[in-house]
Formats: sequence, C-alpha cells, structure tokens
Amino acid sequence: MVLVSPAFAMVTLFVLFPLGFAVYISLTDWPLIGPYHFTGGQNYTELIHDPQFIHSVLFTLLYTGIVTGPIFIIGYAMAILVRSNRVGSTFFRTAFFLPFIIGLATESFMALLELQPDSGAVDYVLSRVGLAHAGTAWTVNYGLALTAICVFVTWFASGLTMMLLMAGMQGIPNELYEAAEVDGGTWWQKESRITLPLLRGNIALALIISVIGSFLAFNQFYILTEGGPGTSTQPVVMWIYEEAFVQYHLGYATAGAIALVIVIAIISAAQFYLLRDSSRAGR
Amino acid sequence: MKLLSRQTLTGAAAVALLAAAGCSSSGSAPAASSTSGSFGVNATGTVQFWARTVSKTLAQKLVSEFNATHKNLQVKLTLTSINDDVTSLATSIRAGDPPDVVGLNDIDMPTFTRNGSFTDLTTQINALPYKSALSPGHLGLATYNGKVYGVPYWGDLSVLWYNKTLFQQAGLNPDNPPTTYAQILSDAQAINKLGNGISGFTFAGDCQGCLGFTVQPGIWADGTHLTSGDINGQTANITGNTPLVNALTLYRQMWTQHLVPDNDRTDNGTTWGQDFAAGKIGIMPGGYGQVVNLVKASQLGSEFMDTPLPGSNGGYSTFDGGDDFAIPTAAKNPSGAWEFIQWVLQTGQQDQYPALGATPIRTDVLTPAFSAANPEDAVALKALAKGYAPVTLVYDQMFNQAGGPWFQMFTTAVYDGNVSLALQQGQSGLTRLLQQASQ
Repeated sequence: MVLVSPAFAMVTLFVLFPLGFAVYISLTDWPLIGPYHFTGGQNYTELIHDPQFIHSVLFTLLYTGIVTGPIFIIGYAMAILVRSNRVGSTFFRTAFFLPFIIGLATESFMALLELQPDSGAVDYVLSRVGLAHAGTAWTVNYGLALTAICVFVTWFASGLTMMLLMAGMQGIPNELYEAAEVDGGTWWQKESRITLPLLRGNIALALIISVIGSFLAFNQFYILTEGGPGTSTQPVVMWIYEEAFVQYHLGYATAGAIALVIVIAIISAAQFYLLRDSSRAGR
Repeated sequence: MKLLSRQTLTGAAAVALLAAAGCSSSGSAPAASSTSGSFGVNATGTVQFWARTVSKTLAQKLVSEFNATHKNLQVKLTLTSINDDVTSLATSIRAGDPPDVVGLNDIDMPTFTRNGSFTDLTTQINALPYKSALSPGHLGLATYNGKVYGVPYWGDLSVLWYNKTLFQQAGLNPDNPPTTYAQILSDAQAINKLGNGISGFTFAGDCQGCLGFTVQPGIWADGTHLTSGDINGQTANITGNTPLVNALTLYRQMWTQHLVPDNDRTDNGTTWGQDFAAGKIGIMPGGYGQVVNLVKASQLGSEFMDTPLPGSNGGYSTFDGGDDFAIPTAAKNPSGAWEFIQWVLQTGQQDQYPALGATPIRTDVLTPAFSAANPEDAVALKALAKGYAPVTLVYDQMFNQAGGPWFQMFTTAVYDGNVSLALQQGQSGLTRLLQQASQ
C-alpha cells in the first residue's frame, strides 16, 4: 500500500476528487454565478424526461452504430496491408495514420471549407463523377451532414485502429503461419484461425477505444454543423456543453455528464466481457 | 510504519470534497469602496484587465498607451479566449479572485448585473460630463433595477456595406445607397444582372449570431422589438410582428431570386464577408470593424462604403454590439480600474478607435473633423444614437444557437418559405426560454 500511495494520491487528487465533486454538483441546481441549492436526484429525474437529452443520446447511439463497423473493418484491412515490412509499408503506415496525428479539430475546419457548395472540393469532385449535384449543401441537411461526418470520421479514426491491430499482428510468431502453409491452409483460414484468435485483446482494445470515442464525439459536430439543422445532429457531449455553457445550468449538465460516464462504463465492461479470451478463463 | 486503512483514505477524500463544496458556495465578496471621493483619482498599483480576444488590437493599444503615461498605475492585460469569456469570469468571481476590470460582451451583462457580481457605478457615471453622449444600448444592457453596473467600452455596430464600383457598373448612383427594403432589393437585382460571379447581396445564412446582428436593426428601425417588458417579466413579441415579417420576406426574396451566392446557405460566419471584400458582392449587412479588417484602407470610401441599416420604409438603427466595462465587486483595485476606464472614455482615446477597427461609444465624438477623417465609422457612430441591443437573460439561447428559436424561425421563413409557421415557432420557442429564465 505504501508503494502505491503516491499513485493513489495522484489518482485521488486528479480523478476521484473531481469525479466526486462532479457527482455533488449534479445533485444541486448549480448556476453559473450565485448561490446553489441541494436538489437531490431531481436533475436525474428531469434527464429521463428531457426530450432533447433523449434525442442526443439516441443520435449518439445511431452515430456510434454507423461508424464503429467501418472504422474497424477498414483499420483491419489497412493493418493487413502494412503489417509486413515490404517496400512501401512505412509510407502507407504514415499516410494512413497521419489523419489521426493531425487532429480532428483541424481537419474538421478543413472539411467545413471543402463541403461548401460553391467552392468546396467535395461537390466539385462528386458532381463530376455523377455522385452528387453541384451546389449540394452538406452541412445544413440532416442526412447529408450525418453521411459526410461518418465518412470523415471513418477516414480519421481508421489509422488508429490500424496501428493497434498491426502491433498485435506483428507479435504473432511467423512459425504459426508457416505451419499452416505446410498444412495447405488458405489465406482466409490463416486469418480466421490464427490471426483473429490471437488478436482478440487488440481487437477488444481497438473496439472499446472506438466506441468510447464515438460516445464522446464533439469536435466534428460542433465545427461542421453546430448540432444543426436545429438540434438534429447534436450528440450527447454537445448537449452537455450547451446546457452548461449556454444555458448556464451547470448542475443539470453535470448530471448528464455523470449519466454518460455510467453508460460508457457499462458498455466498456460489456465489451471487455464479450471479447474476453474464454480459453484463459479460470487460470 | 502504520499503513493507511481503506476507510481512512475514503474518509479523507470525503472530507476534502465537502470542504471544497463549502468553500465554493456563493462566492460573495465585500463591495468595492466606490463611494469615496478619491475613487478613480491618482490610484496606484496594478489593474488586472480582462478583455475579449476579439478586441485584442484595441485593448493592447490602450493598455500600452495608458502604461506609458501612468507610471504609478499599471494595467496588466489578459485576453480571454473566444466563447470562454463568460465562464472564465464567472469562475474567477466564484473563486473570489476576479480581475479589477473586465471588458465583457454587452449582451452578457444582464447575466451578472442581477446577482451582485459588479460594482454599482451609477454615481460615477452620473458625474461624467458626457454621460448623455454614452451609447444608450450599452448602458441599457448594464442597467438593472435602475442602477448602472457598467459603462460602454467599445462599439461593434452593424451597418449596410455596399460596393460603389459595382453600383456604378450597374447604373446605380453610388452616392445614393439604399434607405428602404425595396431599394435594397432593387439595387441587388440590378447588380446581380452584371453576372460573372457577381451577386447583388450576401448574408451568412448558417450563422445565427451574424443574422441577429444584421437583421434585427431593420425591425427596430420600424419601431418594434422581439421581446416586450422588462427583464424580470419579458414576453415574446413575434406573432403579428409586421416589421419582423417584412425583414424575413426581404431575405426570402434574396434567397429565392438567387441574389446571393449559394455558399451563403452554409456560411456559419467563418468566411463571412470575404466575397464582399473580394469585390464580388454589391450589398452586405455587416459590422463596421468586420469589413475594415478585411479590406485595404485605400479601398474604404473609394470602393467600399457603408450606410445605416434601414427599416422597411426608411428610418435606421444599429445593433449596439461590442463590450461594456465592469468592475467586479471583489476587485482588489477598483479605484485603479475606474481611473483606467475614465481615461479610455476620453476623446483622445475614442478618436483612435476607427483605426483599430472599433467604433467609439460617445456620440459627441462625432465632430466634423472625425467625420472627415473617418467617414465610414462616422456612419456607424451616427447610428449609435438610434442603436439598441436586447436586454434579456436569454440572448445566447435565443439568437446564437443553431437550435434556438431565432434561427429556426429564420430557416423556416427564408429557406422553407413558411412565414406563418416560422412565427409560431419563434413565438413558442422564445416564450419557453423566457419562462425558464424567469423561474
């Protein structure tokens, strides 16, 4: 206990204490300025009856459901492409990971300019291949905005998935693949019976990071649509932001934040359980 | 060595949590001693001045000049980041460590004036010899229950910019800018016919705050507002508001007649005004400082000129935007803060505002010499006397949010063409916000 007490002190100071204080704030009507009053669970009761909060949660779930699969599949495919050290691997690893390095906020502003109807590259290219009308206003239509953001985020996040899976793939002994080749195994048999089982932990990590990231989505929606049209593309973190820093209902917003933390914890625990290595259970 | 038990650690954390909660209750502090005769005279020490980043050029120049001429009183400038100024100030007040003077967005003043956060400056302002010349809109936003808790700092006023070159090319008189909605429409139609990528009009069609800044003055010029009553019991004035309908109809016509670029639909303010500055737009409602910062000084007056934002049938108004000065009640050097504020309000400093992209907040600065030296800002300053800014606790929620009732109303009326539904949405949405604010 003595040896871990410095780490415990740091966790207490920077994690547990702020979290505990946030729980306390969520039980009050904490305003921007002025006195507050303890209200018990009133904020949480209001949350479950707040149509805008419910909408933002459902929208976040929809968004997470749409992007998680493509991010994983494309990331896995890129990892297969770059896992060996053949010529060009380094270039492609860098190219695929670069969007994640540059950052979502910067790229969101770039996307905002490229999605402009008259002057953006997206309409220019897509209209010439017949996939969209010139002058399509992507960011002010619910369906178009969601499509554009999902494609954009898939491009952004696949690189991280690639790196997580590639690291795992490179740790698998080559002898296993050689033995499979000797036994006449096909490419798919080697992937499904060697790579995927041994990559379970990395896959779990990549999926959990991806899902948590989607639940915490904010930058791309704030910059590209500001949650619009209306509040149709408002994820739950943006709801929390607007409730706290626009409406100045900090207690109520904190209750939403605590609810989000609980939901993410439950979903992450479920993912860990479902993706655990059952062959190691009981050791 | 005795090891700490789990119970002991848990208990310590709980005590710390409750102690911190108790320390962070109302954040009240003793009022500054503003009643003393020496208040704001020959103060010494340091003044902590928080200004918004948007006023960076102006603030840095003023602070630099003040410090050079006041050896015993120095101002230390901190710029607050965009969208963070209100919460930064509130956090500092709650922590008992606010700045001595803050330059706050004037529409955010009502959030603080009603809870004792700012020093009552009524006596000091009444003693100013130029009090009647101070911006009425700025002062109105700083007033609560008859007391004034702030004083105007700088003006960010909305005007109607137009391109004199395009006016001439379209056969219009560049010295006869629009003074009614009908003239705005006809001039825009004439300029639009020039073709070659030229548009007659422009607006930031996805920028809620930009639209509030430029569309509302036309409604005010027609003699009405979108809310009624004082801040403690406001009601929505949307249904049956004819000036509002006239304004929305004008923008609907601009949109349906393709008198604006297609990009306007998705312009959230990021690129607002750049096509006007590039000489591609005939008429643009916007801010004085907005265009001054986009074009070369040599183009002002020769290529680009401004005129007051008109109402539907004449008259004019402006959005009294910009900042107010306020002295938090827990300020450590309120006397120094008031001395700095009075210095900024002097005509010598106000005369520098146009070159720094701001409009002065004293109408008595509008002399013939000022007009000759700064004809574009003189237009804005002339409109200041008829300026207004809504005094409400829900300005951000109403006008600056994508999901707010103002933008929903604008979208439904201008892009969907359903004005009656737009008015219903605006009335119900604003009523809901005002009722929540009054609880």
